Amino acid sequence: MEFISNLVSMPWLDYSISGLVIGSIYALMAIGLALIFGVANLINFAHGAVFTVGSYIGWTCLVALHLPLGVSIVLVALGTGIVGALIEWLAIRPLNRQSRIAPLLSTIGVGLILDQVIHIVFSPTPRALSANIPNWRIQVGNGTIGPIDITIALTAILSAGLLYLFLYKTKLGMAVRATAQDDDAAKQMGVNINRVNMTVFGIAGALGGIAGLLVGLYFNSIDPNASFQMMLKGMVAIVIGGMANVPGAIGGGLILGLIESYGIGLFGASYRNLFAFAVLLIMLLFRPNGLFARKGERHAEPMTGTFVSQSKPVRIPKQLILALVVVALLLPMANQPYITQIMTNAYLYGLAALALTLVSGTVGLVSIGHAALLALGAYASALATTKGLPVGLGLIFGGLFAGIVGTVLAYPAFRLRGHYVAIGTLALGEIVALVILNWTPVTNGALGVFAIPPLELFGVPLYGTNQSYWFVLGLLLVFCGLQVRLLNSHLGRTWRAIREDTVAAETYGISSNYYKGLAFGFAGFTAGIAGAVTAHQWSFINYDSFNLQFSVLILTMVLLGGMGNVSGAVLGAIVIAALPEFFRAVAEYRMLFYGAALIILIRFRPQGLLGSG
Amino acid sequence: MNKPLLEMKNINSFYGPVQVHFDLSMTVPENSIVCLLGGNASGKSTTMKTILGLQVPKSGTVSMEGRDITGLPTPEIVRSGIATVPEARRLFGDMTVRENLMMGAYTRTDKPAIAEDFERMLELFPRLKERVSQKAGTMSGGEQQMVAMARALMARPKLICMDEPTMGLSPLFVDRVLELIATVRSTGVSVFMVEQNASIALSIADYGYVLQTGRIMLEGPASDLLADPRIRSAYLGEDIAA
Repeated sequence: MEFISNLVSMPWLDYSISGLVIGSIYALMAIGLALIFGVANLINFAHGAVFTVGSYIGWTCLVALHLPLGVSIVLVALGTGIVGALIEWLAIRPLNRQSRIAPLLSTIGVGLILDQVIHIVFSPTPRALSANIPNWRIQVGNGTIGPIDITIALTAILSAGLLYLFLYKTKLGMAVRATAQDDDAAKQMGVNINRVNMTVFGIAGALGGIAGLLVGLYFNSIDPNASFQMMLKGMVAIVIGGMANVPGAIGGGLILGLIESYGIGLFGASYRNLFAFAVLLIMLLFRPNGLFARKGERHAEPMTGTFVSQSKPVRIPKQLILALVVVALLLPMANQPYITQIMTNAYLYGLAALALTLVSGTVGLVSIGHAALLALGAYASALATTKGLPVGLGLIFGGLFAGIVGTVLAYPAFRLRGHYVAIGTLALGEIVALVILNWTPVTNGALGVFAIPPLELFGVPLYGTNQSYWFVLGLLLVFCGLQVRLLNSHLGRTWRAIREDTVAAETYGISSNYYKGLAFGFAGFTAGIAGAVTAHQWSFINYDSFNLQFSVLILTMVLLGGMGNVSGAVLGAIVIAALPEFFRAVAEYRMLFYGAALIILIRFRPQGLLGSG
Repeated sequence: MNKPLLEMKNINSFYGPVQVHFDLSMTVPENSIVCLLGGNASGKSTTMKTILGLQVPKSGTVSMEGRDITGLPTPEIVRSGIATVPEARRLFGDMTVRENLMMGAYTRTDKPAIAEDFERMLELFPRLKERVSQKAGTMSGGEQQMVAMARALMARPKLICMDEPTMGLSPLFVDRVLELIATVRSTGVSVFMVEQNASIALSIADYGYVLQTGRIMLEGPASDLLADPRIRSAYLGEDIAA
């Protein structure tokens, strides 16, 4: 057994040292997230992007301007501190009267924009970062410590120390702690909550930026695509530490660093991220209050009341829908293959959005791991059909597989609410991608699946532009019809009851897990078929085909249309997937467009274009 | 009657389409204890929020010493001389007694005077003296009430607003809290308290208002209200026919 021999021969001390060094960087990320969660009750999904901005300011200072390391660290902290404060001012503060999911989604939008700006300014490829730090190493037991390790550890300790002084020795720091405990009471003491929030976002930004620079130093390179992974590491650390608990966040970061380091030693580096997600899921399920909380000390679910903003859905006259369907059916007659293709693509997104709007809008479980359902369906159908199953059956198999496996996987998340559902589903999405990446014998690993048979239905070819258009449109109409019928049935009312108040619904004898399971099953079936059709159209998929960006994109579509609104999901998909294609300039900066759309939407029309249903 | 300190004039407030206050007018004079009585959903808490600027009325004005404070941000209102003892006290449970009191003085900048007031509070509430470093969340209900009152006094307010100060306390502590309220007034600070418990509130107040579904139904000196048969039947559980 390789594992056993690794266990014996592993240089534990070396792995402990590198685990603590990386862990102290995670801790810096986590402190910022914990501070923000404390005062604003919000998981800042833009925190990873702030990290990346920090690494690039660091690169500019160290490599482009040849500044000394100490000066660079200070400039990074200032720069990302300002970015953090601006995020609060521009993207969070205007939302303070909206539903609780609004600021979270807004930070996702900010993250997309910052990442895209970095890509535009610095190109999307990683860069080398060296700080001319000497290369000696001290022997400690059977491990070694180098100057970079010491620099990182010292910077982290110094930052944490300064934060401690601020929180416990200054008046504003005291106000920050008071606000974190009870913002209403703090307000009644005369605390200016906006100022506190801005300060906290600024501090969190500064610490996140420093973390970005330190990671760059440690690996000698910086990566503009690191935002999401780093944000997740910080998030896992605060889940371990107990969300708003700052010392807990430090402990959580160090623990995560050690777990990862030992895990890599025992299983190999390609599993690095899997450990973080496994820890995250285990914590959410068994210790949602964190490792350090006394039993019953904090509420597992600080979110009460409706998480999603409510409104009356816009009634669309039947005749208009009928007319639009006729136009859609006749579209290929216009003989514009490019447009037909774009619309086929948009309808596929529509199917995916339909599934998400059911789970997130109607049942109220806001999922950021939706792409995993499509990935499950796509892989199931692709693998089965490359081994000989007819494509028609493959599609159904993909749908069933995604419906069943998706529901089983999501089942543990059913007991979670609010932000925790978002975190949990996000972790699930990543775990699915990582299993696909690492389970090479079945999934073909990083190479992906090639030569997936083109769309056909029992011998009838559907891969022509027009045929696949009609096929996908047909699927979309059928699933829309099904979903509308379900929503108007007893089942639909039960789902909405669970969304409005799970506890109240349970007291009426509704087994909420059963109904959440039904919703996930149906949504998984829809999304799985969407994924399978996509796979057969592309003829190639890999673990990254349905990634987090994809999930966020679908969520944006659902929000744009109106959570829970069936025609809204289709409209949202068409607007988001098709519109940028018609404006080449926009298509180039796609993510910028999506991010801005998300923020503007949440700010000015949180209920979506057609209202939430 | 003394000079008016806090005045609410013709307040109409709404939660969305639902009207909570109908033409509400009230006055708290200097150096007095005024209570607002009312049952559930009578609009008591909204009155408190309106004074503190946490809820902005659609029409009407709130003024403090003749200055209009309607719609000002809460920190500004605190600076104008209004401190609160919120419902259920709302202490900062993970912070020490000292820190809680210092939060009370948050809007002040006169450090030596703050330190002086802190010592004064420890004299006023000797029980807190031995517990300055204890976390507020670990104290008993009565002790927490003391911290909440001391915290409010640390702002050097002219008026303290108390939201159901006796709620959830044992009868023994209720008496103690009433003593504390009397102590507060003796330092020259006015008290405006919102209460469900009419007999307790009227036993200590100078003047009372009775709020019912957003309207002031009755007002008068506390002794008159205490003798009023309508009050006795509605709030003190006495059968009016008996």
